[in-house]
Amino acid sequence: MVEWSGELGGAMYSYIARRLAFGALTVLGVSIMVFLIMRILPGDPLVAIFGPEGMSKLTEAQRAHYMAELGLSDPLWVQYLAWVKAIIAGDFGRSFFRSESVAEMIMRRGPLTAEIAILSVLISWIVGIPVAILSALKPNSVADGVVRFFSILFLAVPGFWVGMLIVLALLFWFGYKAPLVGVSLFVDPLANLQIVIGPAVVLGLGQAAYIARMGRSALLEVIREDYVRTARAKGLNNRLVIALHALPNALLPVITLSGVLLGLVLAGSIPVERAFGTPGLGYSMFQAVSERDVFVMQNLVFLYAVVFVVINIAVDVTIALLDPRIRYR
Amino acid sequence: MTVTSADPNAPAQTAPRRRSILRGVLTLARRSPISAFWGVVAALIVLMAVSADFVAPYPPLKSDFRAMQKPPSEKHWFGTDQIGRDTLARVIHGSRTSLTVAIGAVLFGTTLGALWGLACGYFGGRFDMVSQRIIEFLQSFPDLILAMAIAMALGGGLGTVIVAIAITRIPFGGRVIRSVVLSLKEMQYVEAARGLGASHPRLMFRHILPQCVAPYLILATTHLGVAIVIEASLGFLGVGIPPPNPTWGNMLADALNAGLVPPWWLVFFPGAAITLTVLAFNLLGDGIRDLLDPRLRGAV
Repeated sequence: MVEWSGELGGAMYSYIARRLAFGALTVLGVSIMVFLIMRILPGDPLVAIFGPEGMSKLTEAQRAHYMAELGLSDPLWVQYLAWVKAIIAGDFGRSFFRSESVAEMIMRRGPLTAEIAILSVLISWIVGIPVAILSALKPNSVADGVVRFFSILFLAVPGFWVGMLIVLALLFWFGYKAPLVGVSLFVDPLANLQIVIGPAVVLGLGQAAYIARMGRSALLEVIREDYVRTARAKGLNNRLVIALHALPNALLPVITLSGVLLGLVLAGSIPVERAFGTPGLGYSMFQAVSERDVFVMQNLVFLYAVVFVVINIAVDVTIALLDPRIRYR
Repeated sequence: MTVTSADPNAPAQTAPRRRSILRGVLTLARRSPISAFWGVVAALIVLMAVSADFVAPYPPLKSDFRAMQKPPSEKHWFGTDQIGRDTLARVIHGSRTSLTVAIGAVLFGTTLGALWGLACGYFGGRFDMVSQRIIEFLQSFPDLILAMAIAMALGGGLGTVIVAIAITRIPFGGRVIRSVVLSLKEMQYVEAARGLGASHPRLMFRHILPQCVAPYLILATTHLGVAIVIEASLGFLGVGIPPPNPTWGNMLADALNAGLVPPWWLVFFPGAAITLTVLAFNLLGDGIRDLLDPRLRGAV
């Protein structure tokens, strides 16, 4: 039985400290990895910026000029330290193609993507958990079969394609227009909802399939436990047994999964935002990629990875708070 | 391997390999006809990809200027795109790209990861500790984002897309196989072989590796589906295999550029092809999992 232990105690604090230390190490490793991928693999970032043809048109002097201007002629470790220093100072650089700085872009577009991610997690729970319960209570029934088929189908359908189909249908019947600018939740909630609801539903249903699958097997496992049988033997109503005794423990692996899925949603929102034309951060990522904007890409990839690491830490700490067995390991 | 029979807990022997594969297929068909059906679908898709040149009604790049952006008809079953290329032909040829990338990525990535996991689990110690950290760093990126970054850095193309997706598959192979090896290492038959003086390579490849085949196969089939979706996403985002060569992903991207209201057939068919293919591989993978899962193996 999951219980909130009011006293956190030393074990919890030391667990959180260990988790944070590992997280810091991971962020460091991730920053090195991003740097290596974006700077070393192509050999020459100028090719990525100007394209192979534009590159061959540059003279030797021009090349040296651009390299020096971009700080690319310094030794790699100097470049790396300069990058890390800039990031710590909150300077995420500037796109070659837009006047807005990347930091401003993140502040403006980030909230929309964050909203989509959080809303999609909510949708996945609202859809996935009842489905899991339904399916676990009557395993191998017709309803269970239908639910399993749909969850397998949703795992296979690419979200961005569903998004395109939805947009197509909306265009056809309602004359849908892709939103050109983001609207803040706090300025005009309704207009904001119209922008985020599409991507959130598509991504949410995709996650719901995983949640339903995991929830079903977790519930089936928990229902067999002695304490659930005891609760039934006491004469408790079956619904109460499921809701109060079985479900809380079955939700632990689902929470962990949700954390992983939240990371997948951040990535999945890139093509989905492109499909819907949503002016979020995922769309910027798409633009950075199609414009071969190496530096913007480097910072965005790093940002996404850090967010993913932070989500994982948050999930681990939540689980440790809910489940005393974890923190004493 | 004669020691195996002395220990009832040790995994089954793998000696009669060829017969057991045939029997495995038959058992799959009997035990789960649904998986077998999807296995046939997967096989047909592979066949279609291999013989794309003969199956496709038109060459994938040939424009028919008298039939531009026409809905499905008798002449063009799946319609044509903006410059009159046959969508059916392009979808069929797209399967070739998708499967080449998926199989290539799994062969490189999952296999490399599996071998790395084998080494980690077997040697343990500092090598394992450092490897686990590196794998953790790799796993700190959502798959698609890592693949995007690598594909972009290397510049588009078939080879780079395969490498980009393969790298995202490494951690999974590493994790899963490592944990399998960790438990195998303690088994009595391995201990017995070690006691008889078997060398490290012999222990790893002759005694432990054969037992990793089942989890590897399960992982590989699942990864095929994932790789196809990542490839399609990369194509859709414009960092995959560049046009005019058709891939399901870049066909969908093309459809978006086809005008304010993209023609439905340009959106529907490539996506349906992705869904059908991934569904087939996933369900086949489920069937193989049921068949090979060690806990079920006694019943087979």
